[in-house]
Amino acid sequence: MSSNESNPNTKELLKMTGIHKYFGKVHSLINVDFKIDEGENVGLVGDNGAGKSTLIKVISGYHRAEKGKIYFKGKEVKISSPKDSRALGIETVYQDQALAPDLSISRNIFMGREPVVALGFLKKKVMDEESMDALKNMGLYLKSPNITISTLSGGERQGVAIARALHFKAKLVILDEPTASLSVKEVREVLEFVNQLKRKGIAVIFITHNLHHIFSIADRIVVLSHGEKLADIKKKDTNVDDLSELIIRGTIG
Amino acid sequence: MKNVENRNRKFLGSFIDISSLGVIGILLVLITLLAIFVPGHNFIRPDNIKNLLSYGAEFAIIVLGAGLLMIAGEFDLSVGSVLAFCSFVFVKLFSLGINPFLVAIITLICGAVIGMINGLITTKGRILSFVATLGTMMFWRGITVMASGGAMMPSDTSEFKFFTSVFIGEIGKIFQSQVLWLILFAVILGFILHRHKFGNWVFSTGDNERAARSMAINTDRVKIICFVIVGLLVAFAAIIQTVRLAAFSSRSGTGLELEVVAAAVVGGTSLRGGKGNMLGIFIGAFIIVIIKNAFVLARLPYEWTYIAFALMIMFSVLLDLLIENSRKKVV
Repeated sequence: MSSNESNPNTKELLKMTGIHKYFGKVHSLINVDFKIDEGENVGLVGDNGAGKSTLIKVISGYHRAEKGKIYFKGKEVKISSPKDSRALGIETVYQDQALAPDLSISRNIFMGREPVVALGFLKKKVMDEESMDALKNMGLYLKSPNITISTLSGGERQGVAIARALHFKAKLVILDEPTASLSVKEVREVLEFVNQLKRKGIAVIFITHNLHHIFSIADRIVVLSHGEKLADIKKKDTNVDDLSELIIRGTIG
Repeated sequence: MKNVENRNRKFLGSFIDISSLGVIGILLVLITLLAIFVPGHNFIRPDNIKNLLSYGAEFAIIVLGAGLLMIAGEFDLSVGSVLAFCSFVFVKLFSLGINPFLVAIITLICGAVIGMINGLITTKGRILSFVATLGTMMFWRGITVMASGGAMMPSDTSEFKFFTSVFIGEIGKIFQSQVLWLILFAVILGFILHRHKFGNWVFSTGDNERAARSMAINTDRVKIICFVIVGLLVAFAAIIQTVRLAAFSSRSGTGLELEVVAAAVVGGTSLRGGKGNMLGIFIGAFIIVIIKNAFVLARLPYEWTYIAFALMIMFSVLLDLLIENSRKKVV
């Protein structure tokens, strides 16, 4: 079921081979291979505890795999901290951990990467202007860069987090359950943000429980189950019903 | 359209600043009421104001640090004990005939190291700072009482005129140099908190630590630095207090920890971290100091100050909630 044939027009961005991850005695990732091309949109699905979060945390530098190799643009890399993955151009947008609710939009967008003058003092004006540009770039028109995140809707918050990734020239954006606990309208907004990323040639890994969300945007879908890769399949070769049965059954046979 | 946007922004801006304005308002009302109603106008007599400012400066210097730490999401309950311990270090070394400036520097280093220990226990030991500093609070008090034998110790630095005037020199009839130190610290910390990238890390750490960490902010280091700043400021306050009182008491600073938290909360600092501002913290400290002073002037039993603080804290937390809710409705 794996799609080994590579398209000559696209370049491989990230490749992981033979990834193993243990938490004590729990073998959370078992010999997982994963790859994503430049500008590709991959949906990562699976039941709770399937290893989705662990896999992306290995990519984003939160966890270190005990075994396995990671290649970025064809070169082998070591990702041992979030800083490392960010330096490669990998930005991860976590569900509830992306933004500080009581801080302003601009302080959130530049969190940890503040533009500064001598002695580390903030370039407040640059922060504000670039924040508004970054939001407009995502098709998000908010009143001011100084309003706090807590006043935004769930969809707008995802938009701010994605705009931040885009602003820092991400090549790969990982979205961890971006549509969880959102209204139907907000889900549509978020999916539109993801399409924006695709139009700008940015690769996206989209994690979700909801196969319908992923089907509207993904090029390829990877199914994990109990730490193993169960399927790696192009969207055009499958459908929602087959996939959901696969996830529920948990085995290919 | 542009106009509406601007008006919205202004409206919101004023709403966000209202907590600060509210605190300033409370301070002004308090001062006015006390000036009018305290018998014999004792409140606004120069010697009372001088007294209030000199004690207030010591207290507020500690509150500035504690408030910063609370914005980063942590507490330091050991400030009172560390104050006593640093005073002891100062008095002891001074009595050995060491140059007072050197003694002051050693005392500051002591405070910084103690702050760092608090920070390390909290971050690396993964112990809630509330609990960790409750432990160090008892530890340093115990060490201080043991080392000093619990006795008062006189310590007169007045023969070192320059040294004494640096810390408690008089400027006119009312002001003393500790007030200038306080203002200097408040301005520096205000700039760091609101205009420096470190301030953004402090807010992010206190507001959503996981978000801050996923944006590669070293939240442990941010917290440790805040603890060290608290330690340094406590040591500085200990020096001024010891020079001012020309004596050491192993009981100094008892009960300080909660007064400090009360001052920060009254000044608009969130107990959950991530929210607060230096101006508010500064004013909050003086509100607490003035209330204490008023109780003394009114010759009310000291126990009543606790009830007053309790009411102030609850009032300010409620006010914080109300502002938060109305802001959400506006948007």
